[in-house]
Amino acid sequence: MNEQIGTAGGAGTDEAAGLDDGTPMRAADAAVIMQEAGQKARQQLQVSHRATFTFWGLALLLGYGAMWLTVRGQHPFHGPDPAAFATVTLLAVASAIATVAGNRADSGVGGLSAARRRIHFLAVLAGLAALFALEGALVRAGASRGVIGVFEDSAPVLVAGLFYLTTSAVWLDWPLFALGIWLLVVAAVGGFAGPAGVWAVDALAAGLAYLLMAAIEPWVRRL
Amino acid sequence: MSEDGLDPVIHAPARLRIVVTLAALRDGDDLSFTKLQDLIGLTPGNLITHLRKLEDAGYVTAERNRSGVTARTSVALTHNGRAALDRYTTALRQLLDSASQQ
Repeated sequence: MNEQIGTAGGAGTDEAAGLDDGTPMRAADAAVIMQEAGQKARQQLQVSHRATFTFWGLALLLGYGAMWLTVRGQHPFHGPDPAAFATVTLLAVASAIATVAGNRADSGVGGLSAARRRIHFLAVLAGLAALFALEGALVRAGASRGVIGVFEDSAPVLVAGLFYLTTSAVWLDWPLFALGIWLLVVAAVGGFAGPAGVWAVDALAAGLAYLLMAAIEPWVRRL
Repeated sequence: MSEDGLDPVIHAPARLRIVVTLAALRDGDDLSFTKLQDLIGLTPGNLITHLRKLEDAGYVTAERNRSGVTARTSVALTHNGRAALDRYTTALRQLLDSASQQ
């Protein structure tokens, strides 16, 4: 619904608007205003991924690390405790939703960017849902617990990697592209450490990559 | 258009800030009224006054969306507004260049 901006709560004249009191503005002053306003807008309207990167870095280090502690030394391998696995998954999803909602509220930016963010977020949820369904299919097909262990660790990292690759394509964001490629490498190679070792490898390789991204983001955004 | 080629609708401190701020958005994006107010530092009434002038010139659009009990007014720069800012920037640069050569 388009509508004209109303006058509720305000003055109706330029004089009342304070900053437009009819005093001629010099060209040099205009240039300064343009530079300052542009710089402030770019700084404040850009959605920062720093909190998200920090959260996921810690989640991977602590969550995957905790999983590794529960499965290391298992002979034969029977996988992490299902309750612990479900708790970590639920906490991760809930925190992701909170992070996305927070980013959106902070930025104040709507329109196409907000729609793209929603689609991306739904894509991740759909990817994770498909992943869990596929895990069920693997179990049903008789996959060993070791195979399931590698899958349930590496597949979410694979989904995250693809998410960052598609996001980088939309925003032409090369740091996100690098993170996406790295996560794909981690997902592809980590499994070779076995169903127990893969948790430790992914915790360190993916978790530290996220924390590195959080650390360098302010510097990268200034480039 | 004024004698110096600067669009009088844009050539006012508050409106210049508004247009430059909205121009920092990507095409197709808009900004909430409250966030714009926060960035520009005007009272709601003053901001509305300036936005109305820009809207009358076809430089911005304001859209009010209601979702349940909450309402969000979003403001965006139009293609005309972006083109007007480009012209304003060019004219301003020429003025500054000619001033520096004198």
